[in-house]
Amino acid sequence: MSLRKFATHAVLTAAFISASLGALMSSTATAEPVVDHAAPTFTGKTVDGKTIDLASLKGKTVVLEWTNHECPFVVKHYDKSSNIPNLQKEFTAKDVVWLQVISSAEGKQGHVDAAGAIKVNKARGAAPSNTILDAEGTLAKLYGAQTSPHFFIINDKGVLVYKGGVDSIPSKKPEDIPAATNYVREALTAVASGKKVPNPSTKPYGCSIKFAG
Amino acid sequence: MRVAKFLVGLLLLLQLEAAYATSDRAETPQVSAQLVASVAAVSPGSDIYLGVHQRIIPHWHTYWSNSGDSGLPTTIEWQLPEGTIASEILWPIPSHISLGTITNYGYSNEVTLLSKISIPKEAKVGSQFTAVATVDWLVCNEECIPQQVQLSLSLPVVAASNPSGAGSPLIASALSQLPIESPWPVQIEQTADGINLKAAIPESQAKNIKDIWFYPADWGVIKQNIDQPYRATADGVTLSLQSGEAPRKPDQPLKGVLVITEQTAKGPVAMGFDINHLPSLIKANTQADIGFVSALLLALAGGLILNLMPCVFPVLSLKALSMVGHAEQSPRQIRLQGWVYTAGVLTSFGLLATVLVILKSGGAQIGWGFQFQSPLFVLAMAYLMFLVGLNLSGVFVIGGSIAGIGSSLADRGGYSGSFFTGVLATIVATPCTAPFMAAALGYALAQPGLKLFVIFISLGFGLALPYLLLAHWPRLQRWLPRPGLWMERTKQGLAFPMYAAAVWLIWVLAQQADAQIVLIALSGMVALAFAAWLYDSTRNTRPNTERIGTGITLSILLLTLWVGYSSVSIISESGGGSTTDKTAATQNWQPYSPKHLQTLLSEGKPVFLNFTASWCISCLVNERVALSNSDVKAAFESAGITYLKGDWTKRDGAITAILTQFGRSGVPLYVFYPAGSNASPIELPQILTPDIVLSSIALPK
Repeated sequence: MSLRKFATHAVLTAAFISASLGALMSSTATAEPVVDHAAPTFTGKTVDGKTIDLASLKGKTVVLEWTNHECPFVVKHYDKSSNIPNLQKEFTAKDVVWLQVISSAEGKQGHVDAAGAIKVNKARGAAPSNTILDAEGTLAKLYGAQTSPHFFIINDKGVLVYKGGVDSIPSKKPEDIPAATNYVREALTAVASGKKVPNPSTKPYGCSIKFAG
Repeated sequence: MRVAKFLVGLLLLLQLEAAYATSDRAETPQVSAQLVASVAAVSPGSDIYLGVHQRIIPHWHTYWSNSGDSGLPTTIEWQLPEGTIASEILWPIPSHISLGTITNYGYSNEVTLLSKISIPKEAKVGSQFTAVATVDWLVCNEECIPQQVQLSLSLPVVAASNPSGAGSPLIASALSQLPIESPWPVQIEQTADGINLKAAIPESQAKNIKDIWFYPADWGVIKQNIDQPYRATADGVTLSLQSGEAPRKPDQPLKGVLVITEQTAKGPVAMGFDINHLPSLIKANTQADIGFVSALLLALAGGLILNLMPCVFPVLSLKALSMVGHAEQSPRQIRLQGWVYTAGVLTSFGLLATVLVILKSGGAQIGWGFQFQSPLFVLAMAYLMFLVGLNLSGVFVIGGSIAGIGSSLADRGGYSGSFFTGVLATIVATPCTAPFMAAALGYALAQPGLKLFVIFISLGFGLALPYLLLAHWPRLQRWLPRPGLWMERTKQGLAFPMYAAAVWLIWVLAQQADAQIVLIALSGMVALAFAAWLYDSTRNTRPNTERIGTGITLSILLLTLWVGYSSVSIISESGGGSTTDKTAATQNWQPYSPKHLQTLLSEGKPVFLNFTASWCISCLVNERVALSNSDVKAAFESAGITYLKGDWTKRDGAITAILTQFGRSGVPLYVFYPAGSNASPIELPQILTPDIVLSSIALPK
């Protein structure tokens, strides 16, 4: 009986180990970023004609913000409220690197070239550190970005500390902004004071990313 | 002319639209919206439905209460006369819409979002009830457009006695699209990376499933944008869901809607079922796979012991008689009798197994003793037992006699008698389970056809074995007394167990159907007794008289069977009582329901489960001897144990499901769940004594 128990135990343990190994391997295979794990590294083309490398930003807090200026949800947080531009100004002043990412494919809603992106940002008072053009959707797929806006925050050690929406009330009404918990501000404030992000993974809400095809 | 026709058509169309109370249409380029009502007029204090109907252009969609990876649910803000109460939106079942890496839950083409509106009692008859809905939605194909419309609808307020008039058919069709409670028991189970959702959908129905999808009530509970693989097995359909960004916490239930699209003759039909489940607390001691060979041996042992169980008593007496009857025969004849009896038992078990396999493949939830769940079968058995009793009493005699103990004990008819004794033994053995049998049968019923068949044959062989051994072992036969007049007396005496069995079966019948059936059944017995007497008294008379006698006997027989058949069909259709319906003031148990059990367990309360049936003699004996014992009752009370009783007298899928969980195919089953939600259940033996019960419930502390 005890032998049988032992055998069962051994088999279960082996099964558990192989299952966890399998899970580990599959998670590295899809590489979708997981909170509290190293954020996937990337290089991206920016509107100033240069290339930006995440690795070179180590030591700084980095915000990735997917955007699409024609999306009503983006309009809510830019044109109608300046909610996001204000965040950009507030935190770039605190040495946070704020990178907008535009993943709309050519011919799709929100697609812009470098000049277009700069013009649009000027018009809506945006103040990011830089803007990455990702018309192929490579970066969006790497990060599993689904909506505009969709936020990812990476701390100074290259670890993903936040992914999700801009705030807690998924709506298209700018009137809802004051009552909502601004998750991005909450996360950035926590990171700045070395605390744990209280809500590290939230529901992103907005328009879908306009991939090609 | 053409223009005139067109105008007439347009007029008709307008009239049609106007036939129901609706608001004006509010149009956006993508959506045309309208407010519709379930009535044409409202009365004070009544409940009505108002619906926001959206007609959406192709390739665009609006959203469900959980919009999925992106999007926003539609909202309705009501402005209603004072005192009116509007419910939250009642969401019809959604569909899942995938766009690249994201999956949304929503509606394409059209949808009616319902709200239940309670009209205040103060509403004045003769006034207008005006509802204004401000509806906000996000409509998307690849791009999304937020839109807002205002819809207003006025309905006359009439007295309650007035007809409320025809409502919009859109309301009825939306109501039919609301999720309902699942007719099948549903369980959820936490896995390493997600949740398994299991619905006990019979295999036969599972075959028609075209699509099955779980829509979580909240975002991130599962990964929305991946497939939900499912597999259908004999005990249900299991859907594998992967945890998403906001996984369910252990103490939170899984909430959402399970939508099953079934292929029917009329095309695919989608049905939604509400899911609000904690992971199953109904932990079963999932028995280890006992293996085919040990199942065979257990079945054999179970069959052997079956000979000693109370329900086989009438059969034992039959067998004892035929044994004595055969004492005059040559050893060879006796051996042959033994084999013929065995053949009778095995043939019946073979038949039983075949029927089970067929029913199982038809998706029926069945188990051991299932045929006793049919009132028709029980009535037929009662008649058969009664006739055998009459025969033993000597009211009538048929050639070789039905029970193998006819006038000339050594004649050939004895063989067919032996065969039918075997058949009878099997039939009356089925309401009983013996130790070892439960495990073997539980295993067998989960197996494919051939294995099930072989295990049943093994069980039958066990039942037949003692008699077969006796027939083969002349030394054992020496223990049997010599035949004489006492045999005739014994035979007549053994008629009484038969009558007793018939009485018991009538009682079972009354539990299943209705007290009225007792009158029918007993009248049938009088008719049968008369037929038997008539038959016997016309034997050995003139050929014509004999023929007429036979004719009348047969007519009475057929008439009795027909009356029995039709009245049972009528009465059992109209429903009827069962043991659990009769609530006595002193009863210390409550009827079993999976929900009730789940609630008690989630509260960490101790629960004693008893699954029983009127036709299960072992169950009744246990209840009388052990569970109704005053010490046991007192112990239940002082320990605060809730005693739940599940009655399997009639077919009950929910009970079959939990029996299956414990690896059982039939009743009785006794389970004790100690206090504390993490305690494992304790299964009690199938033969109970007060001590067994007391020690089982006292053990865990």
